Amino acid sequence: MKRLKLALAAVMAITALAAPAASFAQDSLAASAPKEITPASLPDVPRNQTVVLGWGVAASSPIGVTNPWALPGYTHQEGNVFMWEPLMYFGIFKGEFIPWLADSMEYTGADFMGLEIKLNKDAKWSDGTAVTAKDVKFTFDGQLNNDKLPYHAAFVQFVESTEIVDDLTVKVTFKTPAPRFKFEVLTEKFDTGIPIVPADWLSKQADVTLAAGSTEIPHSGPYDLIAWNANQKIFDYRSDWWAVKAGRIAEPAVKRIIIANITGVSMDTVAQRVVNNEFDSALDMRSSVIGNILAQNPEVTTHTGNESPFGYLDWWPNSLWMNTQLEPYSDVRVRRAISLSVNRDVINDVLYEGAGIASIHPFPLYPNLQAFADSPGVKALEEQYQPRKYDTEEAAKLMTEAGFALNGDGLWEKDGQTVDATIQAFENIHGDIVPILVEMLRQGGFDAAINFGPDAYQNMADGKAGLYMFGHGASLFDPYEAFNLFHGKYSNAIGTSAGNNRFSRYSNPEYDAVLDSIAPLSSDDPKFIEGATKLMGMYWKDQIDVPIIQWLHRIPYNQHYWKNWPTEANPAMGTNGAFWAQTGTLVITSLQPTGAQ
Amino acid sequence: MNLKIFAKRIGFLALVIWAASTIVFFVPRLSPRNAIRERFAELARSGGFSPGDLETLITNMNQQFGLDRPLLEQYWAYLGNIVRLDFGYSLNRYPSTVADIISQALPWTFGLLLVTTILSFVIGNLLGAISAWPRAPRWLRSFATPFVLLTGVPPVIMGVLLLFFIGFRLKLLPLGGAYSVGIVPSFSFEFAFDMLRHQLLPALALILGSVGGWVLSMRGMGITIQGEDYVNFAEHKGLTGGRIFRDYYLRNTLLPQVTGLALALGTVITSAIIVEGLFGLPGLGTVLNNAIRSNDFPTIYGIVLFITIAIAVLMTVLEFVYPLLDPRVRNQ
Repeated sequence: MKRLKLALAAVMAITALAAPAASFAQDSLAASAPKEITPASLPDVPRNQTVVLGWGVAASSPIGVTNPWALPGYTHQEGNVFMWEPLMYFGIFKGEFIPWLADSMEYTGADFMGLEIKLNKDAKWSDGTAVTAKDVKFTFDGQLNNDKLPYHAAFVQFVESTEIVDDLTVKVTFKTPAPRFKFEVLTEKFDTGIPIVPADWLSKQADVTLAAGSTEIPHSGPYDLIAWNANQKIFDYRSDWWAVKAGRIAEPAVKRIIIANITGVSMDTVAQRVVNNEFDSALDMRSSVIGNILAQNPEVTTHTGNESPFGYLDWWPNSLWMNTQLEPYSDVRVRRAISLSVNRDVINDVLYEGAGIASIHPFPLYPNLQAFADSPGVKALEEQYQPRKYDTEEAAKLMTEAGFALNGDGLWEKDGQTVDATIQAFENIHGDIVPILVEMLRQGGFDAAINFGPDAYQNMADGKAGLYMFGHGASLFDPYEAFNLFHGKYSNAIGTSAGNNRFSRYSNPEYDAVLDSIAPLSSDDPKFIEGATKLMGMYWKDQIDVPIIQWLHRIPYNQHYWKNWPTEANPAMGTNGAFWAQTGTLVITSLQPTGAQ
Repeated sequence: MNLKIFAKRIGFLALVIWAASTIVFFVPRLSPRNAIRERFAELARSGGFSPGDLETLITNMNQQFGLDRPLLEQYWAYLGNIVRLDFGYSLNRYPSTVADIISQALPWTFGLLLVTTILSFVIGNLLGAISAWPRAPRWLRSFATPFVLLTGVPPVIMGVLLLFFIGFRLKLLPLGGAYSVGIVPSFSFEFAFDMLRHQLLPALALILGSVGGWVLSMRGMGITIQGEDYVNFAEHKGLTGGRIFRDYYLRNTLLPQVTGLALALGTVITSAIIVEGLFGLPGLGTVLNNAIRSNDFPTIYGIVLFITIAIAVLMTVLEFVYPLLDPRVRNQ
């Protein structure tokens, strides 16, 4: 009897263990995305026609989600970019638009109230049907009417209506002048811009944001999704890609793309796989790691070859932000004193082997922006406000004027309180720069410390006391978007959360008026340059934030199997070299085999 | 074992699961982080959204996940879901369900950790027993020494060393991944062999550092048991050395080790988080690690709860199985 009871207990326990498995099987039917995409067989493609990339494949999006409108599950960064195409790309290092699905995209007048888009007659979806004006209108109307889509706010702000003129022509009418709409929204570069989606397929979905897409969704890009699981994602080239026939690009040599999942894998292991020619490229790396890779495998290079700083400018220059509504950062003298305590030359020497990466601008110095930064008006303001200046004596003078006195620990104090200069930041990306800044600030008398904790971002958004190391993901072509981050309409009150990249909560009606006055103007309009120059002056004069560094992407390019990676010496199509960015398709389809077997 | 004891133990199991569920529910919510905001902020940072849309989207998603409801209401809903073993949707990998994510990752963790834990247990106990067995040849007893020397070397250090020397320098085994890139999983000898090659280094990293622990504890038990009356009695009865080793010596020393094994199965997940990450294996450890980084608390509590339930059930099973191994327990 006792043995029977024991057996019964064992059976019950085993049943309890098995129950979760049974439940999982049921639950999996509810998920809209397939668990894995596994082909019946995988055609052989030799290694010298295959590019292997180390990146995440299921870190930000679930397996099977390829529909660009699936939210928040879709990301272009995990290879989906190879399936989708925009109207135009932008080659940031050449400063040129690259027509793609559209042959042209022209404003209909100098008032920027209309835009006419003419599609390429050869553009086709993967199912063989043409990409037409209907698809473009569907894409635009979707963004305009569906508040879950990522560019909804931009469409609502600017777009009055869209109209199909003929099969290959769409006209967009704006409700307000929109000189930057073509570039910011309709052109893909870095991580911004929208792809055109297939109207026929998406219009049949009950909820366009919940349709996974998987391998069924027609796409215009050159690669078909073949396999996808937690370990890897595989794309194969489809030989009927329209862009070759249309003369956009030569027949791509890369016939297969494999993205090997490296999410959570240590950067050293990834580096070893690059050195061993297992990976052709991988994520961007810290300077010490990329230096070691180059030292161990001479076939691996970077954007700047084998020379420091090993990378290209990303669109995310970092500043020390602060809540300008909160004491003592509401006092411009304190903000200026912090800037004066940062020795940018030392940053360049210690972190970048002398390369001029330390910054005084809230935008990346791409060709057009560099031209703006070098313009006589801006140079005169730079001379006047000296934003790069390192002068602890002047900083001390300003702090004294602001009512602070040095205490026994050598820290500025007022009413018994030191200046809380705890820097909120992220260890994985700021682990090298922030400790240096803390030391500089402490030497300048600020009570600096580091918070790499999980609450760092929330502290920035909530406007807690302290400094926030964060980027300005804004301007690429002209300085408008960067200056727009400081518009008074984003100056949320203390106690409410600040929007992303709007941590300074700055409010200045005079600033807003100038910004609003240049919003309808094209960046080559002299009045735009004049207004933007004024804003640059206000940014420096008011020290809205403290610019620290330009942001670098140090990506290893392994030239064992593949050459023609976009670099400083060989800009290729002028795009950045990040295969995960919106221009990733141009990077991969431009690669040429080295002949290695 | 009577029905009363059986019911008591099942009741205790339920209590453990409820307590674990409650802790797992409330602890992530003590964090000041907002997973949905962070998720969208990350997407916005990488350019996926116009910042102006963020707040609307965050509000929408909070409603969708029920995070706008009072905490107690969320808790009751959560308990109801737990009873149905429904862990809900992943915040970070929506619309994947946590159950889906667990079921995809589980075979990798189960395959690696169960095999390595049992292998460590078997090898360690055998070597430990032999090293304490006076009749064993000296050369055989010395086998345990290298493992003892490696005791306590964390799997991550062992993994890094193995990766560097065997994978990177000698190129004898792959540097990471569950199987070679470009291969599609299939029921073939070729795939099985490739997968095994990829599991060897992580398995070695886990086994090499843990065998010594079993050796030491088993050796201690073995030495203690040598003077016991029943061992002397068996020797005087003239039983063969092999019989005494197997039936009188090994069987009695194994009892506390079996308890240790069950406890070890509970702690292997901590090794999994590190080793799976180091070798790029898509198991539960990697998923949990990523979920913690992104504050994906449905996934965190789904996995933690799954592990808790599995261990609690395992311990309960062990309590039922223990009397089969030790007749003395049966009579208590």
